[in-house]
Order: sequence, then structure tokens, then C-alpha cells
Amino acid sequence: MRKGSVAVQTHRSARTSSRRKNAVTALLFLAPALVAIGLLRVVPFLGAAWSTLYKRVGVGLLAEQKFAGLDNYVTLFSDPLFRGTLLRTVAFNLVINPVQIALAMAVAVLMTRTIPLRGLWRTAVFVPCTIPLVGSSIAWGVALRGDGPVNGILQALGLSSQPFFTSPQQALPSIILVASWVGIGYWMLFLIGGLNDVNAELYEAASMDGANSWRTFWSITLPSMRRPLLFVLVADTVANFVLFVPVQLLTNGGPQESTTLLMFDAYRRTYTYSQPNLGATSTLVLTVIMLAIVVVQFRLLKDEDSR
Amino acid sequence: MTATTVRSRAVSASPATGRRGMRPQKVLLTALLTVLAVLTAVVFILPALWMFLGSLRPGNQVIESVSPLGWHTLVPSSWTLDNYAALFGELRFGRSMANSLLVAFASVLLGLLISVPAAYALSVLRFRGREAVFAFLVVGFMIPFEAIAIPLAQFFTDWHLNNSYIGLILPGIGNGLAIFNLRQSFRGVPASLREAAFIDGASDLRIMMRIYVPLNVTTVINSALLIFLAQWSSYLWPLLLISNESTQVAPIAIARTFTDTQVNFGQMFGGTLLISVVPAVLLLFLQRFFARSIATSGEK
Repeated sequence: MRKGSVAVQTHRSARTSSRRKNAVTALLFLAPALVAIGLLRVVPFLGAAWSTLYKRVGVGLLAEQKFAGLDNYVTLFSDPLFRGTLLRTVAFNLVINPVQIALAMAVAVLMTRTIPLRGLWRTAVFVPCTIPLVGSSIAWGVALRGDGPVNGILQALGLSSQPFFTSPQQALPSIILVASWVGIGYWMLFLIGGLNDVNAELYEAASMDGANSWRTFWSITLPSMRRPLLFVLVADTVANFVLFVPVQLLTNGGPQESTTLLMFDAYRRTYTYSQPNLGATSTLVLTVIMLAIVVVQFRLLKDEDSR
Repeated sequence: MTATTVRSRAVSASPATGRRGMRPQKVLLTALLTVLAVLTAVVFILPALWMFLGSLRPGNQVIESVSPLGWHTLVPSSWTLDNYAALFGELRFGRSMANSLLVAFASVLLGLLISVPAAYALSVLRFRGREAVFAFLVVGFMIPFEAIAIPLAQFFTDWHLNNSYIGLILPGIGNGLAIFNLRQSFRGVPASLREAAFIDGASDLRIMMRIYVPLNVTTVINSALLIFLAQWSSYLWPLLLISNESTQVAPIAIARTFTDTQVNFGQMFGGTLLISVVPAVLLLFLQRFFARSIATSGEK
């Protein structure tokens, strides 16, 4: 064997051994996260998926799980209440997410303009987003009571009192209010970050060209903000698809099912109605929808990544 | 690649600056925008202020003061700290707050302990299937935990983790966005630093702790905040897992008072204020870390 080839060989084996060492290190470093995701996400998901194929037969301690094929899915999708819940959840998200993000964007733009005491106004908008959703639910639960201050104000203005949470027409919009009061300031934070990153030279160029604020917004701010806006829209959708707290605390899905969203439906089937298999089926439907949205969100992040 | 961390943030987003002599039109516009900003601020802050002041008045006055509508609807005519005394006394809200704090801090600690090494492996080490593992971890942890909370709660009960701190902590430790952000940030560290450290005989663990973590402290704090805030406001999970009052967390404790027959709005508002103070303080001080998320960073 000649000298050169020995050198090449040792070099090569050093490389493979370093690669192997890398793989071992990677495994050690990744193991805790992989175990966590396995036990906390994959196992329960598979368990839930498996249990959707079974039915509980009998009552109490004598109950046993019997294989039922796709019966649970058939039951669920032929239930008009469930179909209503699914449609309502989608419609709810089609309204609340664009509204929240549009308002968050409007407020973010307003709060990045040069105006006196800007920091103070910005903080005021930001304060509610430090309040957990349960706190917002309590605040609006009291404020929108029949004898609460909002109706007090309406009456003082000569308008009639509104039922809010107790009316099938107004309950869901009231829940949107509960979620938006804390949500808008939160998303505004992300958007302000994005607005600050818009290239200042573009604004200077626009100002040289004599473009007014309105035009500048449409032709510079908005296109530059495409990615952050899309990101917060998807992230907001992920959060609102599993909205649960105000429904459970304020309306219990009512009146007349008008606030029953998918997450609450899964909860109620499992715990209130003691139908864990149907609850799991509902959960599975929700998870599949979530997975689809999250994959979109991940793609958005990845594009950011390769820029 | 390091632009995410070292970029100057001095640039103002406003196109309306720069010129000295302001034209009357511009003055008018500024005035209009200011009015709009003040109105927006009032709309957002007023309910919070009403809650805060409501916690400092006798509970029954919250509703009684609505008619007649006036100054005293907002500002108490008699001030009291009784609500807080009751919260920390007979209602044992202090204990729930302490439980919440314990759970949130432990989750941050464990969460960083699993996310930082994972992000390091996914950004620095080369091995086959890296991208697939990355996608699996991030997408898996980005699916909101609520979506599978119900089946997981049943598993946790089988594993005897119900009514335990461990049970409360575990689901909060995996955060997809945290892993994603950390990996992005770690990729900005020049590979030559690691190579140099290797030649000096340092191990990957040491390189991670001594080079990568200190250089990316902003992202580490951001990840810690993400985990903390999610755990602090978690509601569904403790609702499913905890039936025992002594391990209960603050959001559930305060919700319980809401559904009680003996409702005292003053106490409820006080409790809400108390659970909002912790995230408020954290966010106000760490705001700049928080807004540095992937959505807002990146090179131009």
C-alpha cells in the first residue's frame, strides 16, 4: 500500500467516525425532547385514535370496550348538532381571526406613528394582553350582565339594554369580544416588531416621490408586512380553534348551542356526557384540522428560514 | 445570519418624520391620529381600570354603582382592601398563586433543558434525517396542547399523575416555537467557534453551554417567556387533571369563585388582577425579548 492511500483511508475513517460520533451526540441531545414528544403528544394521539374505533358497551363496572369500526365517526357526522358545531367553529374562525389581525395591524400602525406620548397609548393597549383569558372572561362576564356597566352605558345613551351572553344571536359575538380584548394587544406586539423592521429607505423614497400616508401604507407597509401578517394570522387561528375558557366559564355552549365550539364539544362529550369514545373522535377531528393549519404555519416559518 | 440579533432597532417606522417645518396639514393629521390613539387606548384600558378599581371597593358595589351611571361607577365611593384580605385569608388564593408560580418556573427550567440541547443538535450537528426530526419536533409541539389534552389527561390519570405537580408541569415543557427560534438563532453562530473549541478539547455539551447559550441569550429568554406564559395562563389542563384544592393553580381557583353561588365581584377582580401582575411585570421588562420572534426577525 502506498503512503497516499493510507492517508486517504485514515482520513476517510476519521470522517466516518466523527460522523458516527455526531450521530451519537445528536441522539443524546435529542433524546429528552423526543421522549417528551412521544409521551406527551404521540402516545395520547395514537391512544385517542385507537379508542375512536371502539365503543363502550354496558354500564358502570361491567362496561367493556367493543370494536366498532367507524361507527363513532358515522354517529358523529350524522349528528346534526356535531355538524353544526363543526360549521360554527369554522365560521367563528373565519370571522375572529381576520378581525383580530386587521385590528391589531391598524392599532400597530397607529402606535408606530410619531404622535405625542406614544409609549403611553401603546402600553394602554398592551395592558389587557397580560390578563389571562380566564380574567378577560370574568371581566366581560360581569361587564355584559343585564345589570352591568355596558348596559348602563347603553341606557345612558338612550339605547335599549342588550342580552349579550344570554341571547343565541349575541353570545358568540360577545365571546369574540372576550378573546379580542386580550388578543389584539398581543398580536400588535408582534406586528409592531415587524413594522419596525420595514426598510426605512423605502419610506424615504416614497416620501421623496411625494406619496401620501395612505398610499405609502398600501404600496410599502403592507407588502413588506406580508410575512409577519400571515404568520400571526395562522398562529391566531391555531389559538382560536381550541378556544375553550370563555365558553366553559360563561355560556357552557349555550344558549341553544350557539357557542358550542369544537373544543368544548370534545370536553362535554367526554366529561359531561361520559362518552369518551365519541369525545376522542371529536378530539381527533380537531387535531387533524390543527395539524393541517400548523403545517401551513411551519411552511411559512421555513420560507422565512431560507430567505 | 446574525442580523437577527445585532441589527439596530433605532429606525423609526414612521414616514412622517425628518422634515422640520411641519405643514398645517401635517399638524392636523398628527392631531387626528393622536385623538384616535387616545380613544383606542381608553377602549383597551378602561375595562382593566374598572376591574382594578372594583377590586378596591366592597364587592356588592361593583353592580350597585351602575345605576345611576356616573363617576362612581368607575371610582369607588368607599375604598377597602377587604377583597385582598379575603383572597389571601379564607380563600387561600396565595397557595394557588404559589402553585402556579412553581409550575410555571419548573416548566421553564425543564423546557429549556430539553429544548436547548435539541435545538443545538438540530442546528450544529450533521446527521442523517436531521430535517425530518426537526419538522417532527416543531410541528408536533406546535399543535396546541389543548387539542390532545383530553386523551392525555386520561393517560395521566392511568399513570397516577393526576393531582400532582409533575402532572401539571410535564405538558408545558415542549414548545415548538421555542425549539424553532432557538435553532434559528444557533445557526447564526459561526461554525469556526465550535471547531476552535473542539481543537481545545471541549465537548459538545461544554460548547453548547459556554458558547451557544451565552451568544443567544436573547432567544433563550424569549423561549423561557413563551413557556412561562403558556403555563401561567393554562386552564383546560389543570381543570382536567386537578381535583384536589391544595395542588390547584390560580386560574382555576379564580374561575371557581366565578361559578360559586356566593359571588363577590370585588374578590374576583382582585384575583384576576393578581394573576395578571406576574405576566405584566415579565412582559413589560422583557418586551423587547418577546417581540423578537421569528415572525418579526430575519434578513432583508
